[in-house]
Amino acid sequence: MKLGVPHNLRLPVAIAVLALLFLGLFLLYPLLNVFSASVLDADGERLTFANYAKILGRPFYRAAIANTLAIGLAATAITTALAVPFAFALARLPVPGKAAILAMAALPLVLPSFVSAYAIVLLLGRSGIVTQWLQSWGLGFGSIYGAGGIILVYTLTLYPYVLLPTIAAFKAVDVSMEEAAQGLGSSPRRTVWTVTLPIVMPAVLAGALLVFIETLENFGVPFVLAEDMPIFAVEAFKLFIGETAPNPASAGVLGVLLILTTALVLLVQRRFLSARRFATNTRQAPPILRIDRPLQVAATIYCWAIVILALVPFFAIVVLSFMEFRGPVLHPNFSLANFGSLFDRSLRPLVNTLVFATLAAACVSLVGVPIGYVVSRWRSGIATLLDVVATLPFAVAGTVLAIGFVVSFNSGPLVLTGGPLILVLAYSVRKVPFAVRSASAIVHQIDASLEEASISLGRSPFQTLMRVVVPLMLGGILSGVVLTWVTVASELSATVVLYSGPWRTMTVVMFQALEGSGAGIATAAASTLIVVTLLPIILLYRLVRRYELSML
Amino acid sequence: MAGIVISGVSRTFGTVRAVDNVSLEVGEGEFFTLLGPSGCGKTTLLRMIAGFTELDGGEIRFGSECIDRLPAHVRDIGMVFQNYAVFPNLTVAGNVAYGLRARKVATAEIERRVEEALALVQLTGYGTRWPHQLSGGQLQRVAIARALVIRPRVLLFDEPLSNLDARLRVSMRTEIRDLQKSLGITAIYVTHDQEEAMSVSDRIALMNAGRLEQVGVPVDIYRHPVSRFAAEFMGTTNLVPARMVGRAGDQFVSLRPEALRLASDAPQGWPVLSGMLAHVELLGPIMRLDVKLSDGTILKAAMLDAPDRSLQTGATISLAYDPARLTVLP
Repeated sequence: MKLGVPHNLRLPVAIAVLALLFLGLFLLYPLLNVFSASVLDADGERLTFANYAKILGRPFYRAAIANTLAIGLAATAITTALAVPFAFALARLPVPGKAAILAMAALPLVLPSFVSAYAIVLLLGRSGIVTQWLQSWGLGFGSIYGAGGIILVYTLTLYPYVLLPTIAAFKAVDVSMEEAAQGLGSSPRRTVWTVTLPIVMPAVLAGALLVFIETLENFGVPFVLAEDMPIFAVEAFKLFIGETAPNPASAGVLGVLLILTTALVLLVQRRFLSARRFATNTRQAPPILRIDRPLQVAATIYCWAIVILALVPFFAIVVLSFMEFRGPVLHPNFSLANFGSLFDRSLRPLVNTLVFATLAAACVSLVGVPIGYVVSRWRSGIATLLDVVATLPFAVAGTVLAIGFVVSFNSGPLVLTGGPLILVLAYSVRKVPFAVRSASAIVHQIDASLEEASISLGRSPFQTLMRVVVPLMLGGILSGVVLTWVTVASELSATVVLYSGPWRTMTVVMFQALEGSGAGIATAAASTLIVVTLLPIILLYRLVRRYELSML
Repeated sequence: MAGIVISGVSRTFGTVRAVDNVSLEVGEGEFFTLLGPSGCGKTTLLRMIAGFTELDGGEIRFGSECIDRLPAHVRDIGMVFQNYAVFPNLTVAGNVAYGLRARKVATAEIERRVEEALALVQLTGYGTRWPHQLSGGQLQRVAIARALVIRPRVLLFDEPLSNLDARLRVSMRTEIRDLQKSLGITAIYVTHDQEEAMSVSDRIALMNAGRLEQVGVPVDIYRHPVSRFAAEFMGTTNLVPARMVGRAGDQFVSLRPEALRLASDAPQGWPVLSGMLAHVELLGPIMRLDVKLSDGTILKAAMLDAPDRSLQTGATISLAYDPARLTVLP
């Protein structure tokens, strides 16, 4: 009563206020600083659009924007074209080994995409193994540097974003709709085109937009593969790191443009998808279709080929990391020398990676789960605001958020630069949307009357949250912790801006090895990262499997 | 234990007056039912008593204590939900003990009272089972035991039987009524099922569009509905223009199907109405007739089956009604 807040709203209000304070300080404030850097003159006093005019006036940066969008669209189109038939095959056709395919298909989502890009360079690059082998036969192929290679890596690493929700959608199609169409005289083939595909279309589009946004924000893949081709996130990074002046106006401009683009895409998605939601209420998954032997063989090869091709680069990196490099040149002898030179200097980066990932995973759950709870249980203006703000990091490239962090916490009352905390906080903010989404999806499945029962039996709303809701969410929370941990461990784009001195992580080690000529160290770091990300997933596979779809 | 006094309670959601200036008094130990169609405000009113919905205005008291500003968890209410709301992560005993643990009751005492409560709902020996091993009816018994064991001041039932099958509904409602009476706890019961309400309640408040339509003992509401809504919602009835039964005015009268008989079977002095037999159905012990009167009004009649009777649709038929069971509606 003291606050004038009705007693049954005190808990959600308290959570919302705390969450908004956290996100206000570590998300909105840094972004505001990026924005103000971009619209202020060199003295930081007058409002000006000169920075925008300067950047947009340079053909180089216009090309960066055009390249990023073109590559993103191409990768999205190809990914979707590959993933939808794949999803249909897994959902409706008799393909052997579905469980294994599904398990392997989810892996590219958690494995670091820049490692895949680096593997492509080692295999197909100028002095790549496959390239040289083909040359010894007198065969050659086009360069994988530039748009082609980037699109290839995006396709191989991002296809699960379309695949997984589309499988779920195909499985949720009410068979009676197909039966109705066929009863009305439609052939099975026509039914797929006129009934089934339109029903799954919203899921496909949602996945495709995720792919598109990922391509816009990705830093590592173009950093490895773009060479001279200007790309948004990479140029923002170079502008910021290259500038010695304290006013990172130009980087801010690129950052703001990047955020605007992704936010626009997200808005379009929300508008479009909320208008077209085809509710189907199924009691059971639709039956597996009976098809000819040749078609079955073709579908099987198709599915397995995509899954395996996507994982080949990671496998290759692990194999290569056990071979001997002299400078950039590879010698096919088994050797532990790469790991020796990686860890000889210090185990510190590995320890940092593990500690940061653990802290960030804990922090993300602490922030994200209560937000998810409030967002799905409470309908009000504040809850909607919280939902929007908590989704915002999704539209913010890691590079841009990191730039905001540096600008905001370099001086003033809260100085974080140069320490480890800034990394943990940046990771936490970046992963909050995922935690919120998965938590709210789980809370959605928990009957609200369970909480009311607990409250009427004498537990306060907070005790009820801790004793009823959290235990019921535990599986989902743990799964979220694992996935956060894994993706944080291989985070690159914010890390390379924010790390300092002793707080290097494995991704930084690999990044630095890429810039130098330490191919051996790079492969060893990459395969260490692969192990670090795969191990928890494999150990907790059953748990993660059950909940990961809700993350999408 | 206490009676409940609800005075001038209102609640608006957006532009909808979900509960509109409702005043009620429920006696100590009374089994009181809020009855009405979906959206009539009965659940909102119940949730206000439970503390899950805020009041815009008015007051709710348990005995002399005003409780409408208390947080829900200190109101000392036993609530039974439509979907059971049994905690899936606790055993049956864990569920029943939940409220006692919240009240920091001693362990030995908890054990004793849980056993006692489970015996009350005929679930002795089920303490170690998990909710997913139980049927819907058993789950609802667990929920009832869980609500009773805390010895609440008031018991609230939110459509507790609507997820059960028809037969179980009938046996469970008697059980709930017997339990409530033997424990003497004031109970408010929400349902949309008129028959259920009549079978369990001491009194019923019939609600419509957020307002009280009629409050009274079940038989009174059934026999003497004060409005068309009350007459039609409490069972089947015929709404006949008053002049068809020889009365002045342009009101309607309510005539229950069972107040009609074939003219040949009726006692002396019952007024007769003639029409064409439009439809006959025999539902085991009961026979239902639809008779079309000269002005087109369909009159529904119900009577016990008689084996020697044979009726042809399309034939002219005469019905007589009990003039004492005619209710004139405003």
